[in-house]
Amino acid sequence: MATTDWTHLRLEHLRQTRVWRSIFRRGPARTNRTRSLAVFGNLGLHMMPVKVREKSLSVRATYYLGSISFFLFAVLTITGVLLMFYYHPAVPDAYRDMKDLIYAVSNGVFLRNLHRLAAQAMVLAVFWHMFHVFYRGGYKPPHEFNWVVGVGLLMVTLFLSYTGYLLPWDQLAFWAITVGTNIISYVPVLGRPIRFLLLGGHIIGQNALLRFYVLHCVILPLGAVGLIALHFWRIQKDGGLTVRDDHE
Amino acid sequence: MPGELKAPGKPEEKNTVTRRDFFNEIAGGALTIAGLGAAVVTVKYASPNVLFEPPTTFRAGSPDDYPVNSVTYLQDQQVYLVRTDKGMWALSAVCTHLGCITQWKPESDQIACPCHGSKFQRTGNVQAGPAPRPLPHFSLVLSEDGALVVDKLEVVKDTEILKV
Amino acid sequence: MSEKNTVEVGISSDALKQPRRVVFITRKTSAKVKGEVGPQLMSFPHVVLRETIAFQILAIVLVVLALFWDAPLEQLANPLLTPNPAKAPWYFLGLQELLHYFPPLVAGVLLPTLVVLGLVVIPYFDVNIEGEPLWAHRSTRRLQVYVGVFAALFVLLALYDAWTVLVPTVLVGALGVVPYFNTTGNSRFQKFLGSRPLPWWVMTWFIAVALTLTAVGTFFRGPGWSWVWPWS
Repeated sequence: MATTDWTHLRLEHLRQTRVWRSIFRRGPARTNRTRSLAVFGNLGLHMMPVKVREKSLSVRATYYLGSISFFLFAVLTITGVLLMFYYHPAVPDAYRDMKDLIYAVSNGVFLRNLHRLAAQAMVLAVFWHMFHVFYRGGYKPPHEFNWVVGVGLLMVTLFLSYTGYLLPWDQLAFWAITVGTNIISYVPVLGRPIRFLLLGGHIIGQNALLRFYVLHCVILPLGAVGLIALHFWRIQKDGGLTVRDDHE
Repeated sequence: MPGELKAPGKPEEKNTVTRRDFFNEIAGGALTIAGLGAAVVTVKYASPNVLFEPPTTFRAGSPDDYPVNSVTYLQDQQVYLVRTDKGMWALSAVCTHLGCITQWKPESDQIACPCHGSKFQRTGNVQAGPAPRPLPHFSLVLSEDGALVVDKLEVVKDTEILKV
Repeated sequence: MSEKNTVEVGISSDALKQPRRVVFITRKTSAKVKGEVGPQLMSFPHVVLRETIAFQILAIVLVVLALFWDAPLEQLANPLLTPNPAKAPWYFLGLQELLHYFPPLVAGVLLPTLVVLGLVVIPYFDVNIEGEPLWAHRSTRRLQVYVGVFAALFVLLALYDAWTVLVPTVLVGALGVVPYFNTTGNSRFQKFLGSRPLPWWVMTWFIAVALTLTAVGTFFRGPGWSWVWPWS
């Protein structure tokens, strides 16, 4: 059609401009070289390999569980940051802010539901991903270390979920964390000092809420990002995803 | 030649430490000390010296406020004040299993924990449930003006009874 | 080994006479599992497109669920009043159920630490790369060890009355030994069981126990952590 030809021509013209070419270096991805550059030369994508085995792309090979875990983490980060606009990590503001988010803030209840849902889903996805990788032998050499990184990511995920659990400051949160931190004090020798550091005191109060907030929003997400990057990087370097031979 | 044992080690025998090795070791040691120091300082920073928590030593009225053979729950401090004909003692109301707050059940003469079903006698001894230790006794003394003073940071033996 | 070893030094262009080193394999290289390579595709667009679709499906599912399923919010935290029962988040409920049977040091510290350590060392064990089935050789010695370990575990769990762990252990343990005795069955299921290697059985046992513990902790425990039927 004439209009699409015109649009097409305009786009091509735009692509030739100096400004465009200063930002997008590689040109349209129509040759294998430019397709490679789309991954290799891209800040966000260059941790992916340039080529993958066709077998690893089928849904049944991995159920895309690893990707799903990562996407859930992205959803949690975005919804979490937005929730931070209204949440004060203080007693008793925290609970009041939860009520605010649910009843007063536009789409607040939706955002909070999404955040909590994605959190539960992420724990589930991460566990399922681990079991699935195990059952298809994705931990065997040369992927041993990546498995260990994965276990580390599992711990970070659980700890993220646990620190986030306290933040609403309701009965559910308070007592779940009471039980958990009391278990920590059973660790021999270091148990009580670790509990003291974690809570910033002897009781679950102002200091504990603030520390859990910092852990939940800064320390653990940074750790997660670092480990995720390493996890993806190792897959690329170790030769791609593992697919069971009896599949397809 | 086969059969001849050669002494292992560098050609110049003895412990010749080169200047490079020396400086490397000094640098490594310095970095280690700096690292350890940084870690210790950070942990000390994270350990609060001033706590904004309710005071752990408190006054609990006079012994006359507590009838003989009674168990009184002080809600703000999570402490039971028990008085028998032999005297008084202060019991922690925090279950020794995982930290839930227990409840005094006069109808069964027991202190019960709602979390996992632990049951304690008024002496603090465990009667049932997964609690690993008896409820600790806190130091209970009489001040000069005849008031009961409880110190929650000082745990005393369960044989110590304040005679009133 | 006593013939004369004459080593000629020199480079000849005849590879038969003077083999040249092409690959140097160090002694401690681990065997690498290299699957059949097969056809390859460019990540862009194939992977990027599929991942985008996966993300969109996930987003739709999440949004629809979030529109209808409200996150809970109970009363304001009250340090003086413990709710009855006081339950941990669902992924820790299995642990809380375990705490019902074993002392906190065991169930809360030792066992989780062992589990994590166990997970970490999985790939470093003598890896069964070919995936040899557990009963491939029908060795009686192996059967003895299997029954011995199972019996020890059974006694330990029974001693602590930890029947929530005992039941799945017995189920998986019994299933695991079926292929040893079963020589006639040829159904797909029996063939499948017979081909499973030891790590598969251990992991399946672990998952069975974890699922049972979590399910019991979620649905069958009420006030005072007493047993309740979920439909009552």
